Amino acid sequence: MKNSEFLKLSALELVEGYKKGDFTVSDVIETALEHIEVNERNLNALITPLYEEARSRSWMLDAALARGEELGSLFGVPVVVKDNITVDGVRTTCGSRMLENWISPYSAHVVECLERAGAVIIGKANMDEFAMGSSTEFSAFGPALNPWDLSRVPGGSSGGSAASVAAGYAPIALGSDTGGSIRQPAAFCGVYGLKPTYGLVSRFGLIAFASSLDQIGPFARSLKDVAAILQVISEPDARDATCTRKERPNYAEFLNVTSLEGFKVGYLAGYESLEIDDEIKRAISQTIEICKEAGAEIVEVDLPISTRYGLPCYYTIAPAEASSNLARFDGVQYGFSVVADDLKELYLKSRGSGFGPEVKRRILIGTFVLGSSRYDAYYLQAQKVRQLIIREFNAAFSKADVLITPATPTLPFKRGEKLTDPVKAYMADLFTIPVNLAGLPALSMRASMSQSGLPVGVQLIGKKFGEGDILKAASVIEQVVGPAATALGGDRK
Amino acid sequence: MSEFIPVIGLEIHVQLSTKSKMFCSCSTDYIGARPNSHVCPICLGLPGSLPVINERAIMYAVRMALAMRCKVNTHTVFHRKHYFYPDLPKAYQISQYDLPLAVDGHLEVNDDGKAHKIRIQRLHLEEDAGKLVHAAIGGRLMGADYSLVDYNRSGVPLMEIVTQPDITSPKQAREFVSRLRQLVRYLGVSDGDMESGSLRVDANISIMEPGGKWGEKVEVKNMNSLKALERALEYEYERQKEVKSKGETIVRETRHWDDDSGKTISSRSKEEAEDYRYFPDPDLPPLVVDERTIVQLCKELPELPWEVRDRFISDYGLSLEEAEVLTERRDVALLMDDLVKRGSPVKVASNWIRTEIMRVLNERAISAEELTIPPDEMALLLSRVDRGELSTTAAKEVFAMMLEKSLNVDDAIKALGLSTGKLTGSDLEAIVVKVLAENAEVVEEIRAGKDKKGKKVKFLQGIVMRETKGQADPKEVQSLIMSKI
Repeated sequence: MKNSEFLKLSALELVEGYKKGDFTVSDVIETALEHIEVNERNLNALITPLYEEARSRSWMLDAALARGEELGSLFGVPVVVKDNITVDGVRTTCGSRMLENWISPYSAHVVECLERAGAVIIGKANMDEFAMGSSTEFSAFGPALNPWDLSRVPGGSSGGSAASVAAGYAPIALGSDTGGSIRQPAAFCGVYGLKPTYGLVSRFGLIAFASSLDQIGPFARSLKDVAAILQVISEPDARDATCTRKERPNYAEFLNVTSLEGFKVGYLAGYESLEIDDEIKRAISQTIEICKEAGAEIVEVDLPISTRYGLPCYYTIAPAEASSNLARFDGVQYGFSVVADDLKELYLKSRGSGFGPEVKRRILIGTFVLGSSRYDAYYLQAQKVRQLIIREFNAAFSKADVLITPATPTLPFKRGEKLTDPVKAYMADLFTIPVNLAGLPALSMRASMSQSGLPVGVQLIGKKFGEGDILKAASVIEQVVGPAATALGGDRK
Repeated sequence: MSEFIPVIGLEIHVQLSTKSKMFCSCSTDYIGARPNSHVCPICLGLPGSLPVINERAIMYAVRMALAMRCKVNTHTVFHRKHYFYPDLPKAYQISQYDLPLAVDGHLEVNDDGKAHKIRIQRLHLEEDAGKLVHAAIGGRLMGADYSLVDYNRSGVPLMEIVTQPDITSPKQAREFVSRLRQLVRYLGVSDGDMESGSLRVDANISIMEPGGKWGEKVEVKNMNSLKALERALEYEYERQKEVKSKGETIVRETRHWDDDSGKTISSRSKEEAEDYRYFPDPDLPPLVVDERTIVQLCKELPELPWEVRDRFISDYGLSLEEAEVLTERRDVALLMDDLVKRGSPVKVASNWIRTEIMRVLNERAISAEELTIPPDEMALLLSRVDRGELSTTAAKEVFAMMLEKSLNVDDAIKALGLSTGKLTGSDLEAIVVKVLAENAEVVEEIRAGKDKKGKKVKFLQGIVMRETKGQADPKEVQSLIMSKI
């Protein structure tokens, strides 16, 4: 096998290869690191590549392999981790000047899980500052690009993670999703991106954007990898009070299906008339057709409140929580700090220069809606709407096991296209946001390629802790459309 | 002009004596520790860290709420209270807002023999902040070149108790805090130490004419002892009266008590309330304290100070004063019960505890359980005193010896060279005769009827007791003296 072939293998294929002695961990890691070094000049998918750390860990793992030790489920698998997830001893920037030089003294729960499973973290992924954005253009470290078309954005905020997996840096990556930050870039980069049910994956070590919406989830190029990494990172964790103690199923088992007999797939009533790209509409109907042919019953569902009020509801709650979560970046204990004559000036200057424009915009919105005289009219009202959205989804899931919706209204847009109009940019999350508000799991996957050679994604939404149902339906779809492809240098436009 | 009366409400912060902090597993035992040695990502508010509620802190607070007859809310929520200050690492404090752990209780204080109920408005839990150390003379913020922050205290559980404005005098305020402190100590939920800041009191005080309107209230802070609290409120009461008498208006503000000058000093105007932007902490699901737990905790409550006091009065026939001294501390009250159970007569036990034993406990700053004399030996000593086998003087020496050398009663008596046999009959008579002969003048005065109060007989009795090294029965000595005179 040529070394460059490693880059196209899935995580589970790599583990298999190590076990069979086909190649070593350092072979794979070395290849990945070289590939990264060459491609980063264009892609800028990583804020901090971890060349040295990954190399020395690969030697350690090879030694363990030689000793015949029992291997973890992600043994020797290169992983890219979004830069809002802490890794002990590594800087975690959140894509912000504010944390440009902050080295975390502890690892996130998911990182501990990955390391216990034998994974090798090869880099920290680029992202929109503090996960606020849909294009990774709001990164303080420069925009990441879409590996399928360098003139386009990879989506955001986990754009670096999605681009890394699409570009073959690693078969899997971690992102975080508050309003679509995993699913939208997964759709734009043509890979799988799963936002688990709120409370399935511990948020300990995830730098909070909006605590009641944030959830860590995986990117991968195959569903088997999605299941494998979800199994690893969903280990219960008492350090996150919102993390459920429920027993986790064996996710891989949901993939052994060929039929959807007795399974109900819902689709959004009237999606054909929505303002979305025609190729996406076609992808939806094709996907529904695949499910139907596999024996699923197709039902129509209505989500009028979610579609109409999801965005304003989200853009009240998320900034409110963000304004609170980001208050700690005050230039006192750690992070960006400006020398000032007094305390107030220290706060004003540090926060004024440390945060970028989108973050400031949302802090302002959040501070406004939480004001004691406005709380009832904005925050409380939004919470009521949120309850209605939850109810609406509950009703939909009394009719269907999974819902198929667009992941995004458009195909990957051009760089700079939506920078000037925030509301237009916020619309990119129209279909993903209600899912976070309702705390549901959803997977974004590539359903086809557009005529212009861009990935076209769809979204599969499940009921609470219904990751299994999603995997089941996705598995049937994957059998038809095939797993996600890599956009290595040569495949690129 | 009619007399103004003070209207006082208190806001008390009590540090709970849990082993770990409110939302992380760091130790709370930070007094005297190196700065920033009792910290972790959570209490430092590092990015990505999350809080988890310390269940013991909830238990302690519920215990306190039940003891004050509060209604415990089974469903409570933690809120974030936002403000920027360097000692607050997250720039918000996790506290409680409109759904506190408990509401509507009361605590009774004794005001000049009359019981006075002070209503408790609410009790809630929150986290403490860190501590700023200012590099200027006297550790003051003003004029400091720089300040240092110690986060050891950050995240220590605080129970906030707010009273209704039911307190009608500075003395009553002091009495209330003293009762509350006694209660937290009885319940074992805090050491209640004001000097070290485990118990902090802020007071709201206004004045009003009887039947009149409430005046503008002033918040007084920085009272580090019960005495300071009383003095500060007295000062503030007088100050407000003076402002009124000059026809000026009282400004709503926060004032700091300065113990050295004995004055309150205006620190900031409260005309505009700060907007803390409270909202439910999304990191913490609503806390459910189920009825069963509450009932269980209620059952497990120890006998409360006033209950013990009343029982001592009714069962032991003690006076209110005696009972109050004996029940001030739970360990002491338990010792009292223990000694009586082991056969010590109530009076002797009460006297000894209130004098000798309390003195030793205070001197050594130990609890009654830490006393090196086992209770059964203590009871034995007291019953010998009661039976007249040891005089009080001799018993005190024996007590001291038992403490010093960890001896039992008999060995201590031996070590002191006191024979265990009782000096009586003709041996005692001989000593009495000798003492009377040596003090013929006194004897004459008694015979002349100049000892109406019996003091002179007591004097002679004392000499005889000393001669016998306390081994005679004082009553026998007294009757021998009387018969000889």
